[in-house]
Amino acid sequence: MTAFLIRRFLRFIVVCIGVSLVTFAILQASGDPVSLIMPEAPEADRAKLREALGLHDPLPTQFLRFVTNAARGDFGKSFFYRQSAFGLVVERMPTTLALAALAIVIAVAIAVPVGIVSAIRRNSVIDHVATAIVFLGQSMPVFWIGIMLMLLFAVQWRVLPVSGWDSWSSMILPAVTLGAFSTPLFMRIVRSAMLEVINLDYVRTARAKGLTEWFVICRHALWNAALPVVTVIGIQLGLLFGGAVLTETVFAIPGLGRLIVRAIVQLDFPIVQAGVFVIAMIIVTANFLVDILYVFLNPTIRLR
Amino acid sequence: MTRWLSSLVVLACALLAVCPVSASAQTKDTLTVALPSHAPTLDPHMHFERVGILVNINMFDSLLHRSAKLEFEPSLATSWKALNDTTWEFKLRKGVKFHNGATMTAEDVKYSFDRVIEPGKEKKKSPQYGNIRAIKEVKIVNADTVHLITDKPFPLLMERLVFFPIVPKAHIEKVGEEAFGSTAAVGTGPWKLVEWKKDQYIKLESFDQHWRGKPAYKYVVFRAIPEVATSVAELKTGGVDIIRNVSADLLNDIKNHPLTTISTTPILRVHYVALDMRTAPFDKKVVRQAANYAIDKQAVIQKMMAGLGKQVTTVVQPAAFGFDPGLQPYPYDPKKAKELLAQGGYPNGVDITLHSAAVDWRPQFEALGQMLTEVGIRTTVKMWDPGPAWNKFFQTEGKATHGAYGNWGNYSVFDADAVLHPLYHTEPGGWIGKHYARVEGLDKLIDEARSLVDPAKRKPIYSRIQQMIREEAPSIFLFTQNDTLGISRKVAYEARPDEWLWLYAAKPKN
Repeated sequence: MTAFLIRRFLRFIVVCIGVSLVTFAILQASGDPVSLIMPEAPEADRAKLREALGLHDPLPTQFLRFVTNAARGDFGKSFFYRQSAFGLVVERMPTTLALAALAIVIAVAIAVPVGIVSAIRRNSVIDHVATAIVFLGQSMPVFWIGIMLMLLFAVQWRVLPVSGWDSWSSMILPAVTLGAFSTPLFMRIVRSAMLEVINLDYVRTARAKGLTEWFVICRHALWNAALPVVTVIGIQLGLLFGGAVLTETVFAIPGLGRLIVRAIVQLDFPIVQAGVFVIAMIIVTANFLVDILYVFLNPTIRLR
Repeated sequence: MTRWLSSLVVLACALLAVCPVSASAQTKDTLTVALPSHAPTLDPHMHFERVGILVNINMFDSLLHRSAKLEFEPSLATSWKALNDTTWEFKLRKGVKFHNGATMTAEDVKYSFDRVIEPGKEKKKSPQYGNIRAIKEVKIVNADTVHLITDKPFPLLMERLVFFPIVPKAHIEKVGEEAFGSTAAVGTGPWKLVEWKKDQYIKLESFDQHWRGKPAYKYVVFRAIPEVATSVAELKTGGVDIIRNVSADLLNDIKNHPLTTISTTPILRVHYVALDMRTAPFDKKVVRQAANYAIDKQAVIQKMMAGLGKQVTTVVQPAAFGFDPGLQPYPYDPKKAKELLAQGGYPNGVDITLHSAAVDWRPQFEALGQMLTEVGIRTTVKMWDPGPAWNKFFQTEGKATHGAYGNWGNYSVFDADAVLHPLYHTEPGGWIGKHYARVEGLDKLIDEARSLVDPAKRKPIYSRIQQMIREEAPSIFLFTQNDTLGISRKVAYEARPDEWLWLYAAKPKN
């Protein structure tokens, strides 16, 4: 177990370094922030700013400085806000995490029951309808679902607020929008995982013992079908953050995705670096946790 | 199972009952405006963002104000005059109160300029420094009089002072710049800060002791809504009262809605295709002229902009000082375009690529490409995302051959210099001049007009410049545009030509 944890941890470190290298490299290739910060200034003033920001140093020096500072949570000051970039990212983090968590809850709450039903009533009407919805759901872009939900629930029926993030009711539409992004995949996974285990011997044995169908499904079958679902949730987290960018933009939510997108447009290096770094950390950590959860969900997994 | 379900339903109902329904119509004492984003700070001197200026003008006053008809009006200065070419005298309004109760003094005026000019300092903090760098010194003559001294004649001074807010010296020194820009912004304007939730809303409350008198709305809220569809939905449901930059395709929808209408006005924004004069085919004057003859500007305006725009002769617009009404725009004449193209050495036409990052204007951009193609300048249009890659390609490296479509907003300064210098001057800062445009003698004329204060002397120089660039055609000169606001029918407010949201003029309507 310890060796397993250490191996995973080493991988974690390698991924972190990879992430910082990529973040650093991408931004290096994308133009001159100084001309955006001081559009009207003469060249002499710009040169001074470049000097102050350390943009004249050789790239390896800049990278080394970036990594050592990043380890301390110091990504420098945002060019745009003139505040600590890491602070700004951390400030927006809870909103995006809450949105992603709500979305996962909604996706699981819909996908698990529907997935189970379409597995045990395979080829029934419910199964076909569910499959159709899966196809529809996966072919609709997040922002489109968001705007459609908004037009229906907020403009047409007026039961929910259009946008914002200041009351429970304002969180429903964005969470459903983002959840809709993951639901189809979850549903599919639950269905196929259930199909795999539902005809295995131990399930038949459970039935033979005279247990109720519900108990067999929920206690015996689902428990073993949960494994791939948990994995996918871990992987989906990254995609959810991607989807959150659009959801936050459509519903005017003050989250991390919106902060980063704006920073990218404005060439605000420190925020982009801090944001990508923090999100990467969260995803890597989530995957790390999923690995550990695996062991508990299925003790037969070899700790390799 | 059923018990489970019923308790869930009860829980859900309880939750919904507790939640405030914020979609309900705003009360009449609040005016809500949708902006795509917020500026990084509320400190009016420490950013250069349109969205920030729109908020700042409602919280702070400057020495001068600009009326909706674009005339200079007294604000914190009651009168002003030039003592000589480089010295201006301003008489200050007496008894003006800041939001914290302090009285505005000449000290505050001097302090406001000094924190941007930072005399003696090498590196300037304020991004607005370039705007007023000509101001060398602010001298306090007595309690109600200040002198602004410029290093050389500075004809744009009045324009620059329309947005140059006066801030409280003692207050900023007490709370610090950071607090001043976020939680403790204090000015003399009609509304004072209540709360700023970043990327959500800025809430202001009317200031009882404001020198103009109390504004019609007790509260003003600036919500940050990046997505156009969302702000339109908010407008229609009463979540916001004013949205900006309504595009032509949304006009009728908003105009015909029972709760909303539009207000539209010509603004200071000119569209053009910057032609790359360094390389073929646009290194030849006749080919550049051919491109100008090839465009049916009226068709674009009528069919793609709902008629809200005017064709222009050059980049200098009718509303700007220095505009020469005697010059006529290039007419639409495809036959002449083909002749000129043949004259330039391309009787069988030529293939070019045009670039643009003006994503909101993609249909118009594609139409321009089509029209050029029809006369033989076979055009491929390449649309870019506005962002790092485009900035690097176009501005930093000047690789956008054979040309780029874009528009320019003059920083809301109604003077020919505000478009000629930033676009065509070859010194850094000229977007086009830096790489693409090379018109012999243009730099010198722009500099000359800039150094004169006397309008009567500046005007003929600008006429010469306009004749010159119309003839040389460094760009395809296109059209101006309107700005259209979407407005709740409960609010009386008119769009301004300078794109400002001066909400003191807004009133509730029954």
